[in-house]
Amino acid sequence: MNIEKMTARSIRRGIMEKQFTAKEVITSFFEKIHEKDPAINGFLTLCREEALVQAEHIDEKVKNGEQIGSLGGVPIAIKDNMCTDGIKTTCASKILYDFIPPYDATVIKKLKDADAVIIGKTNMDEFAMGSSTENSAFKKTKNPWDLERVPGGSSGGSAAVVSAGMAPVALGSDTGGSIRQPAAFCGVVGLKPTYGLVSRFGLIAFGSSLDQIGPLSRNVKDSALVLEAIQGEDKLDSTSVKHSITKDYISSIEKGVKGMRIGVPVEFFQSGLDDEIAASIKESIEKLKALGAVLEDISLPITTEGLSAYYIISSAEASSNLARFDGIRYGYRTEQFENLDELMEKSRSEGFGEEVKRRIMLGTFALSSGYYDAYYNRAQKLRKKIKEQFTKVFESYDLILSPTSPVLPFKIGEKSSNPIEMYLADIYTININLAGIPALSMPCGISQAGLPIGLQIIGPHYGEDKIFKAAYALEQELKLAAFHPML
Amino acid sequence: MSFETIIGLEIHVELNTKSKIFCSCSTEFGAKPNEHTCPICLGIPGTLPVLNEEVVNLALKAGTILNCEINKLNKLDRKNYFYPDLPKAYQTSQYDIPICRGGHVDIETDGVKHRIRLNRIHMEEDAGKLVHLEDEGVSLVDYNRVGVPLIEIVTEPDIRSVEEAVTFLRTLKSMLEYGEISDCRMEQGSLRCDANISQRRVGQDTFNTRVELKNINSFKELQKALEKEEKRQRELYTFGEENKIVQETRRWDSAKGKTIPMRSKEDAHDYRYFPEPDLVPVIINSIQIQEIKEALPEMPVEKKKRFKVLYSLNDKEIDIIVGDKALSEYYEALVSYGTNPKTGANWILGNMLKLLNEKELETNQIPVPPNALCKLTEIISEGKISITAGQEVFKEMFYTGKSAEEIVKEKGLSQISDTKDLERIIKSVLDSNPQSVSDYAAGKTQAAGFLMGQIMKASKGKANPQVAKALLDEQLKQRV
Amino acid sequence: MKISVEDVNYIAKLAKLSITSEQAQKMVKEFESILSHFESIDKFDLSDVPLDLYSEDMKTVLRKDETSVFPDKKKLFQNVKSMNDTYIKVPKIIE
Repeated sequence: MNIEKMTARSIRRGIMEKQFTAKEVITSFFEKIHEKDPAINGFLTLCREEALVQAEHIDEKVKNGEQIGSLGGVPIAIKDNMCTDGIKTTCASKILYDFIPPYDATVIKKLKDADAVIIGKTNMDEFAMGSSTENSAFKKTKNPWDLERVPGGSSGGSAAVVSAGMAPVALGSDTGGSIRQPAAFCGVVGLKPTYGLVSRFGLIAFGSSLDQIGPLSRNVKDSALVLEAIQGEDKLDSTSVKHSITKDYISSIEKGVKGMRIGVPVEFFQSGLDDEIAASIKESIEKLKALGAVLEDISLPITTEGLSAYYIISSAEASSNLARFDGIRYGYRTEQFENLDELMEKSRSEGFGEEVKRRIMLGTFALSSGYYDAYYNRAQKLRKKIKEQFTKVFESYDLILSPTSPVLPFKIGEKSSNPIEMYLADIYTININLAGIPALSMPCGISQAGLPIGLQIIGPHYGEDKIFKAAYALEQELKLAAFHPML
Repeated sequence: MSFETIIGLEIHVELNTKSKIFCSCSTEFGAKPNEHTCPICLGIPGTLPVLNEEVVNLALKAGTILNCEINKLNKLDRKNYFYPDLPKAYQTSQYDIPICRGGHVDIETDGVKHRIRLNRIHMEEDAGKLVHLEDEGVSLVDYNRVGVPLIEIVTEPDIRSVEEAVTFLRTLKSMLEYGEISDCRMEQGSLRCDANISQRRVGQDTFNTRVELKNINSFKELQKALEKEEKRQRELYTFGEENKIVQETRRWDSAKGKTIPMRSKEDAHDYRYFPEPDLVPVIINSIQIQEIKEALPEMPVEKKKRFKVLYSLNDKEIDIIVGDKALSEYYEALVSYGTNPKTGANWILGNMLKLLNEKELETNQIPVPPNALCKLTEIISEGKISITAGQEVFKEMFYTGKSAEEIVKEKGLSQISDTKDLERIIKSVLDSNPQSVSDYAAGKTQAAGFLMGQIMKASKGKANPQVAKALLDEQLKQRV
Repeated sequence: MKISVEDVNYIAKLAKLSITSEQAQKMVKEFESILSHFESIDKFDLSDVPLDLYSEDMKTVLRKDETSVFPDKKKLFQNVKSMNDTYIKVPKIIE
């Protein structure tokens, strides 16, 4: 069947056309997982029983001549920070090691409504804080392209699983680049939608004003397919998009880039950017020009300072969001305690990892009296300025193009000892979260050492359709969609 | 050296909504522990709040009634602190831009009018309840109350006496009840009051160190706690030890009858407020405000004025009746059925309140419908039964729910008011008591009293005293 | 900016985290370098950026005052480590 090479769309079509059953599909994928995951460690929890029940359900529908959902029979892996009713959800943290949510996140409900089959929960940096998935309390996920290198983070598990062919699509979350950067590191397509386009209800919060859920896939059309299924207004999320802009992306995706105006920020190509990445991006720029797009240099200052604003805001929100983990209502509870205070303090100190504690401390500091104006308030004002900057650019341009990461996938253990270095690597991605605009990362080349290079396409609010058009055109031109050495 | 007392109050009021502020759990009081809970109010990871529109409406109504300015754009903020009754480890409240600012309540104590200014009104969510099991060394947490919507009303330190404080709270309670904003029951916790109190020398224009008082659970406790603390503070000033008054929170212990310093909630003051990122700002438009103004029910002040004009009751009577919304509505219904206003007031202020107290009922639980009581007053005014009998009948109506006529019939309480019947009885009594008649003729007026007694005896108490007296006087005149 | 070990300990207490004095020392260094990085935002003149959140296209998000019951209460409390009937049990709190 060569199931691992199939796209989500072809899996659904195959089931509808009775070329194979959903049960066969799911069984195949679990065999693949059994074969490959011991080396990659992408999954934290597998849902084999539930998945097979779902698959049988779908096969019944097909037998009865009923329509199946847009993702009918498609296996999907879910980053372990989205609540799945009855299935352990840990955020890769000791403090939630045995947490079983009593409800489904809205995106999970929507996936089930679309007849997708959830096959497992994937590894991540603890509470989504990190860029390498090395901060997981449980496992170290390997990059399928080179098992000694990181898959990126924080959605490293989801990216690796898709890249290695253990699932055609996955969901990740992106607060400062956590879908896009691992997508670049693993050579897959990752989209962070416009803030509010996808409901956050059920996503265990890190930076509430920055978090978004998005798809990871091996091709652009699959990404659009998943987005269509999970997007839309949610009455349970006050920050979710109000008007039902449930656009259909597939129908316009092949329209091409002729006449599209794409800006390339000069600040993004300064020192610090790996030469091979720069060269690969430039090649793609030429390809887009050849396809009829107009590419011009633009200026986007405030990029480094955006980094500071991002870390202040996300840490501040996280320090508040993570305060509920105290061992009383769920999660890890310390064994020895004399009183309530000790119970709470010890549970938290023993349950949280170093990076999480560091960010909680940073965030608490930024919000504490005396520092609120100097840090949090200023960061919010700067954020507003950054947002305005992007709005201005999008008055004259359809899209912005940039590298996703300044560095190639690094070796496990190489960078994690230096927080500042790790923070700096987020430079191309975090401003997008601050502005709430959408961005997609796609593979655009391979380095000399055989590592994937990612390119980022940034759009205006609710401009996902433009992004998909450009990404699809480039994908077809580069013919990289078929290139996955490990499959 | 004379001192004046400075008091400011912080009042928390539970709003009359069906569901909680951020989720659709019920707000009903008295459920089994943790019955009214869901993933959202329990703060289960991943959940998000959505604001209840009725909370905004009621907060706006309160602001309108209390003469506040409305902040047309206001927002919610997180107040961060750790406590087991707070599942998210933050309370969603309003910090620097509350829904209402300013405002005032006019009160009157001993005929002296005073305007107490308000500082603000803001929306917030309530926390859970804790039960402490001393001997087991554990505490139990019930989250039913988490997320119940509250408004917090903060006064300026304008209150100048303990009496004013109690009057203010009563007046406020009445206004909020009339506005149907809350049922304001201190015993159930839907109205809570914390007080701030300090002293200063008369003539001083700055404020001295103030003390916060908590755990005040009734109007009586408010009075006692404030009086006790006022005394404690004044004594310290008198002995030159005012430096012993520190800014602290003291707990009112009603069993011990004193205020006790509370264990400080360490670091409780750094709440690290920041705007709630999971909610969007609250936007009020002028039309909304106008609609609320127009739909306001009649407020106590207007009602009192109207009562004075319509019913000619005295101020004290009006204060008591209007002070209680349910009572005033009952009264008006009673009068609308035909009862004389003064008579109606007497019945309510006398027998009604007494029986309600006896049976431990609230004024919105009066078991005798207004038209039934009206019928009773009619029967009495028609002379069919005596007033004394009427009180007996009322009590019976109150306890059994039977109608006045039924009870009168059952107990044979009808009065004899028919003049023919009475004339007969009187004549017979006078005939049997010739000595008393001559005594009366001789000027001994108390003989008439004796004769009345005999008449009542002969009629088995059923003679209508007024009619009998008049007829007796006539008959006596004839015989003399 | 300069941070002291006392600052770090105070923050740890606020955040209900216990840290050893070694950890505190380490954090002082880390914080200082991170915070000096944050100082890059000081160079902007942000006095003209109003944070009054109002913008024309804003709409409030509200829900109707209706009740609904979460059906499976047991599920809600399935992760609690110690219950007492339907209460959640914690070590005694002194008020």
